[in-house]
Amino acid sequence: MKHYLYLHAQSARSALLKILRQPFGNLLNLLMLAIALALPVSLYLGVSSLQQWTARLNTTPQITLFMELSSEPADLAAVESSLKHHPRVAAYRFAHKDAALKELEQRSGLNAISEGLGSNPLPHAFIVTPQPLEPAMLDLLQKELSGLPMVELAQFDAAWARKLHAMITLASQLAWLLAVVFALAMVLINHNTIRMQILARQEEIAVSKLIGATDSFIRRPFLYHAAWQGSLSALLCWGLSSWLAYQANPALAEFASLYGIDAQLRSLQPLEVLAMLLGAMLLSMLGARLAADHHLRKNQPA
Amino acid sequence: MIRFDQVTKRYPGGHEALRNLSFTVESGEMVFLAGHSGAGKSTLLKLVSGIERATSGNVLVNNQNLSKLRASQLPYVRQHIGVVFQDHKILFDRTVFDNVMLPLDIIGFDRRDAQRRVRAALDKVGLAGKEKVMPIRLSGGEQQRLCIARAVVHRPSILLADEPSANLDRAYALDIMELFKSFHQVGVTVLISAHDETLMEDYGRRIIRLREGQFAA
Repeated sequence: MKHYLYLHAQSARSALLKILRQPFGNLLNLLMLAIALALPVSLYLGVSSLQQWTARLNTTPQITLFMELSSEPADLAAVESSLKHHPRVAAYRFAHKDAALKELEQRSGLNAISEGLGSNPLPHAFIVTPQPLEPAMLDLLQKELSGLPMVELAQFDAAWARKLHAMITLASQLAWLLAVVFALAMVLINHNTIRMQILARQEEIAVSKLIGATDSFIRRPFLYHAAWQGSLSALLCWGLSSWLAYQANPALAEFASLYGIDAQLRSLQPLEVLAMLLGAMLLSMLGARLAADHHLRKNQPA
Repeated sequence: MIRFDQVTKRYPGGHEALRNLSFTVESGEMVFLAGHSGAGKSTLLKLVSGIERATSGNVLVNNQNLSKLRASQLPYVRQHIGVVFQDHKILFDRTVFDNVMLPLDIIGFDRRDAQRRVRAALDKVGLAGKEKVMPIRLSGGEQQRLCIARAVVHRPSILLADEPSANLDRAYALDIMELFKSFHQVGVTVLISAHDETLMEDYGRRIIRLREGQFAA
């Protein structure tokens, strides 16, 4: 067992040395793989950053309850008490119609509105902040609140939240789709590079087989080469995506500050780096294995 | 020990290289294989080393029936046999030392032990001091010796040589034969093919003569 591990360590070492001996050609290869990886990874980071910001946005949608103009203080008290005890209402705020009129005058600069109009045309209102809910549940809550006595209108612009939600879902599905496509590309690229290597070492393989090499002995150096290629390209991709985030973040922060959001592209977490490393390694080895098996099947001596 | 039991080898296309051949080579024996080219000498050696499979009949090598062995087991049989190929099959992209190292890498020898064995094998065939030379710079005879060193470095129990003295002048060929004799003397079963019988007759060993895949009368 110990000897077996020693032989594998030996193969891993010589495969790495082989890569380092031709730094330029191999670097180009690694960059090609890293860029192929970086595309889905960047999209994934973008989407998950967006999800983080909108998770914060989603907690702030509000439902405004406009009361009938004829509502009495007793009606207001009844609505208030049902809001107070509603399990899906996180908070609410009462807006008196006089305060609302004053705000309108200030905002529009038309000080004379109230003078021109005989009475205040604005209704009392409750501004309700719901608990964090799915868009569909928000719709239900809005319907329920509009059924309260003396409530004329429960206004909630759910459309934008739902559109945003749908867009994020689409983008994350796109990221996964891209990941699958590039996983396939990873396998194919490795299949191709390993196939070239096998062709270059055809004679060595043929002689080795004649003097007793097993198929796994023939495959081993190529599998290790692919494993190194995969994991090194994953590390390069990590660097590349961090650099992209680093470059994009100042501009993004400036843009987001216009909307009063603190937005940053996040970088990969250690666990995600590990997953990417293992994934790239295994996909590369799969490509190498397929190429080697194909060659061995085609060149069976007996 | 090598035993052929009614062995026939037919190649795709119908050419019958060996016809219903039966014989035994005891372990530790040194046997010559004679016949014109095309008589089936190379095919016989390929059957012993598991490079080709018999169409019918049984080939027993070291008590293993190669005809019944799964293809995945054949490499382990080859690891116990040393072969001096007719066309040498030397790898020209690496040094003499690394050429001889290859069988030990395949078997999985410890590095330091392997290096010692490679030096011993090169010393035995008279190539000590040429370890770092690329094979292209060796003479024909030296390439032959390199091939022999690679065949014996892992101390196989059976040594096969396919026309090892072809293309060598007589003095050099005799040198090579002496080398095989010395392996035989330490207990290795040796099977050597050649079309030039004068060389074998000097040795007084058993000669298997083949003609068109059968024993020549």
